[in-house]
Formats: sequence, structure tokens, C-alpha cells
Amino acid sequence: MVNREPRGHTLPLLVTLIIFGVLLMTFDVRLQGGGVVGVLRTGTQTIVAPMQKAASYAVNPVADVIDSLSNLSNLREENIALRRELTEAEAALVGVQDQLARLEHFEQLYDMETAGNEIGRTVANVIGRPDAFDAALIIDKGTSDGLVVGQPVVDTNGYVVGTVRSVTGGSATIVPITADRQGLTVIVGDQIGSLLSQVATDEMRLEVLDAREPVLAGDRVLTSAVSASFPAGLPVGVVIGDAVPRIDVLTTAVALFVKPDTLRLVVVLAWPPDPITASSGEVIGPAETTTTTSETSTTTTTDRGDS
Amino acid sequence: MRIPKSLIVATVLIFAVVIQTTLFGQIRYIAPDLVMLVVILLALTRIRPELVLGAAFLSGLLVDLLGSSLLGLRAIVFTTVAYIAVRTMERAGIGRFTVALWAGILTLIGVVLLVLIGTLFGQTSLLGPSVASRILVVPLANLLLAGLAGPLFVRLVDGDATAFRFS
Repeated sequence: MVNREPRGHTLPLLVTLIIFGVLLMTFDVRLQGGGVVGVLRTGTQTIVAPMQKAASYAVNPVADVIDSLSNLSNLREENIALRRELTEAEAALVGVQDQLARLEHFEQLYDMETAGNEIGRTVANVIGRPDAFDAALIIDKGTSDGLVVGQPVVDTNGYVVGTVRSVTGGSATIVPITADRQGLTVIVGDQIGSLLSQVATDEMRLEVLDAREPVLAGDRVLTSAVSASFPAGLPVGVVIGDAVPRIDVLTTAVALFVKPDTLRLVVVLAWPPDPITASSGEVIGPAETTTTTSETSTTTTTDRGDS
Repeated sequence: MRIPKSLIVATVLIFAVVIQTTLFGQIRYIAPDLVMLVVILLALTRIRPELVLGAAFLSGLLVDLLGSSLLGLRAIVFTTVAYIAVRTMERAGIGRFTVALWAGILTLIGVVLLVLIGTLFGQTSLLGPSVASRILVVPLANLLLAGLAGPLFVRLVDGDATAFRFS
């Protein structure tokens, strides 16, 4: 059917390329994604990002249609659940507005002013993912929008998503906490622990090494002030099983608030704002959210962090 | 004017990478590996096997550079799959169904290799949620795409309207 030249050189070439590939992998492991490898990544992403942006603009509606069609059976149930959540959220909002009004009243009464700790927020569209096995997200904002490597990323509700892994002029790659091998320092109640990813599940494992008291299902897991990557107080997930300390170690599973593979919009936090405030253990409230109106329009806003 | 094969291959692969990372990156349930499929189908064309292996390595490297996993992981996997494809391409030339089946099996080998080699190098994030279903869905999606567009792809790359026409 297809006549070609003899394949005598393919095996030596395969062996050579595999050896070269293994060398690249060990090199990447040793450099931990930095150095020459980091420069290569940034360079490649800089070249490909404009094409990805253009393609994303064209294929987003197609992706939405296919995604909706493949998920048609769940849409009705999801719609009912969302309506119920909306009703609850509206009820909660009324309560919060009442509290805000009272807070404003007391601030005026005592002539209080804000501390001035500000965290810049950049809203970005998710324009793609590398493939089915890579959890990373590619977004359409980069250094020209103020993004730098290592900045924390949350969703539009303020729930933790991950961190910026690499950044180019007009795009960046986000690694979700579920795919991060380093783990995340969190706080449950008043106990500090580590949140680690697990194999073949989207739940994460909470390990508290100096555990003094049990944790209960439903306890909220927040980022800790000890964390070097995130501001303290950001909601991460919820404990899904009661656990008691064994000797002084406690282990349990945590369900995350965010499913990274469903995200279309993320918010990159300009944190730490500067090294001095970074060391002061700044806390921002979980209720702080950035208002966005559509998927196509993105804005950079600056919200006040609670101190 | 005859367009050089290397230019055609480069264009097709970059197009595949862009579509893979945008369109198929946003569809949760139907997720083919378009770049791996293109690498496999290149073995059916009249392009020199050495060039197919080189293209496989470079395209794998490109996907690695755009993602968060180890540099060289997909390069190794794609090159190995391309080698198996080059060695077994005669078996695919019987009909459209065999092309699809052959591409599906090679993709299955590819994703299993990706998970195995990745895990050996500490890339446990490859074993994320629903890894088992993804190991099956990706080859099935590639099987369907190869059956639908495989012969057409070969005809386009070779510039030969008579190639892979099954009666």
C-alpha cells in the first residue's frame, strides 16, 4: 500500500530521542522548572499564546455547546440545585447587607478609617488546558497585566484555585492545588495542617502533625497565615469525615470548594503586595468577591483586604 | 509550486497543539489527544519515518512546554508511539475501520505510557480525578476521529487524492 524507504535508522533514532527526553526530564526535576527550562517555557508560551487567544475566541462557543450537550442529563438537576442555592444566597445577602449597614454606622460613629492594605485583583479568562492529563489552566492575562510567578489564584467566589506557575506577556499557566506536589498550609479551627493531593480523586488529604483536638465533618478549611503562597483566611474546602488525633497526628479527607476543570474565569491576587505586609500575616475575608459581568470582558479591580 | 512536506507537518502539528489546548481543553467529557493522533496518522503518510519520529518528539516537547508537567515526558511518549506506529502501519491499511482501531490502540498505549512514566518521575498529578475513565475516553475519542478523518488527513498531507481510498 505505502512504499517507503527502509526503516533501518528508526530504532537508533528512537533510542537517541528517548535518552535525550530522559535527560530533559532529569534536568527539569533538578532545576524545579526554573533556569533554562523556565526560559524555554516562557518563550514557547509567548509564541503560542496569541494563537491560543485567537483560537479560544473562535472555539469558545463551540466548546460551550459540546460541553452542554454532553452534560445535558445533569443540567436539569443542576438548575434546580442552583435555584435553591440562589434562594439561600439571597437570604444570606440580606443578612450581610444588614450587618454591613451596621458596620458602616459604627465606623462613622467611631470615626474609623481603613488600614490601607490592598490586594490587587486581576480577572482572567481560562482559554485552555494542555491536555486531558494535565490539570494546568492557561489564562489570557500575563506580565502586561501585572501577573508574576507564584501569585495566588482564586475563583470569582474567592475560593482557592492554585498558583501562577509561569507567565508571559499576555498569558499565564495556573497549577491548581490538586496538582501541586508541594501541598498547602491550611488552618482548621485553630489547628495548622497541610493539605496534600491524592491519587485518582479530587479530594485532598489533610494532615495535622501536632493535633490536639478532633476535626469534624463540615469544618471549614482556610489558608493559614503560615502559608508562603496564599494570604490567610481564603476558603479552600470542607472536612468530609470526622477524625481524631492518633498520638498527635490527624488525617482526614477534604472536599474542595472549587473544581478546577470547570472554571472559565479566575482571579489572580497581587499577593504579597510587598515584603513588609507579607510578613505581617495579612488576612482577607472569604466574603470578598470580584464583580464580573461577562466571560468575554475582564477587568482588574482592587478590593480592600481586612486586616 | 510544491509545498515542502516539513512545512506541512509543522503547520499541521502547531494547528493540532492550538486546537488541543483550546477547544479540547475546554470540553470536559469528550477529550481526544489530537496531537498524539496527528503523530500516529503521520506514520501512514509517505513522510520519512525519521522525520515522523522527529516531529513526534518536537510536538511532545511543545505540549510539555505549554503545560505544567515535566519537560520531555510527552516527547518520550509521542516518540515511542510514533515508532510503534511506523513499525505497524501496514496493518492499518486494510480499511477505514482498521485505521480507527489501530489509532485507538496506539493512543491507549500512549496514555498508559504517559501515566506510567509520569508516575515514575513523580508526576502524581497525572493520576488525578477519574484517571481510569480518561485512559479509556481519550483512545475512544481518537479512534472515532481517526475513523472519520484519518484517510482524509493522509490524502491532504501526501497531496495524493488516491491514497487510502477503500472500496
